[in-house]
Amino acid sequence: MIISKTEFLYRAQTDQETLQLWISEEWIAPQGQDAEPEFSEADLARASLIRNLQQDMGVNTEGVGVILNLLDQIHSLRWALSERLRLKDDGAA
Amino acid sequence: MFGEVSLKDPYEILGVAKTATADEIRSAYRKLAKKLHPDLNPGDKSAEDKFKDVTGAHDLLSDAEKRRRFDAGEIDASGAERPQQRYYKDYANAGGAGGGPRYQNASGFADFAQEDDFLAELLRRREQQARRAPGADRLYQLEVDFLDAVNGATKRITLPDGTSLDVAIPSGIQDGQTIRLRGKGAPSRGEGPPGDALVEISIRPHKFFTREGDDILLELPVTISEAILGGKVKAPTPTGAVMVTVPKGSSTGSTLRLKGKGVARRDGSHGDELIKLKVMTPPAPDAGLEAFLSNWTPNYDPRRDMQS
Repeated sequence: MIISKTEFLYRAQTDQETLQLWISEEWIAPQGQDAEPEFSEADLARASLIRNLQQDMGVNTEGVGVILNLLDQIHSLRWALSERLRLKDDGAA
Repeated sequence: MFGEVSLKDPYEILGVAKTATADEIRSAYRKLAKKLHPDLNPGDKSAEDKFKDVTGAHDLLSDAEKRRRFDAGEIDASGAERPQQRYYKDYANAGGAGGGPRYQNASGFADFAQEDDFLAELLRRREQQARRAPGADRLYQLEVDFLDAVNGATKRITLPDGTSLDVAIPSGIQDGQTIRLRGKGAPSRGEGPPGDALVEISIRPHKFFTREGDDILLELPVTISEAILGGKVKAPTPTGAVMVTVPKGSSTGSTLRLKGKGVARRDGSHGDELIKLKVMTPPAPDAGLEAFLSNWTPNYDPRRDMQS
């Protein structure tokens, strides 16, 4: 389901300026037009993660970008691994 | 087990002394959070529980007042848990979509795909999927009149971008029901079909009709003489007024049933309209009625059931 920018700012407990930074750093990649971005629950969960990294763990801006990039790779790897295992099982059967 | 978890000693959980300073508590928490945050351990199911304990302990001890009351034995460690957080990993792994195509990043294994047909095929299919992914669904809310919901209607929604959407309200729709308009949602980012528009219907109340399932309820005021002597009176229905017969000797609460005057059902049949009579005395004192009633002795006791 689509989440509007206003709702996103409220639910992510953040402000316009911070969100703009997140988008320009490509930490959050909403869909839709720039004037009317559309967010998802996954984007919201990513926002919580960014907040956890910065506030709870003291990671700085540069660090957040590195972590998110590596995390995206891990998730893609995990997906590839699970698909690979599934295909192997199918092939064996 | 739940109680046991919440009552663990927060100092023990963070691994700090009872005398620890606020800085020591913060640094102990940071150290554990970096190690245990569920999003940094996407494959470890136990990390979530451990992290919950750690954040609970930190929330308690980082608040000077809460910590003082805990140390004084006024409160225990329960109730210190944060509301359940949804972690990104829960979305990132869902259906292999990687939390949306824009977050996918195959640079961790693209080299293997050159040597492995399975992986090469996976990557190819994934790219195709991303390209053909449909657009997102869009949610709208539409308030309709009671009678439009009963009889059906076509309503127009004006969208934020200035275009409009015609919504056919089927007769008999219920409050809270959602109408799905295929292909009227957001366009696909690639070559896929657009998403759907989901229109949630809320129904405005009516001045005198209410609805109970497929039946329409109506309270119909009648005069004393209509109730006592019976007669034909005009009653509204969702499709226009009809004449109904009030039987002789009716009272407040007597119910008349108009078959088939209720809400349309899916199978084409209709519910009923239930008319509950309400006997009304004249709005102003009526000399004729008073004169007549002063010579009349009721031979019934309407409060008979209330006597003990």
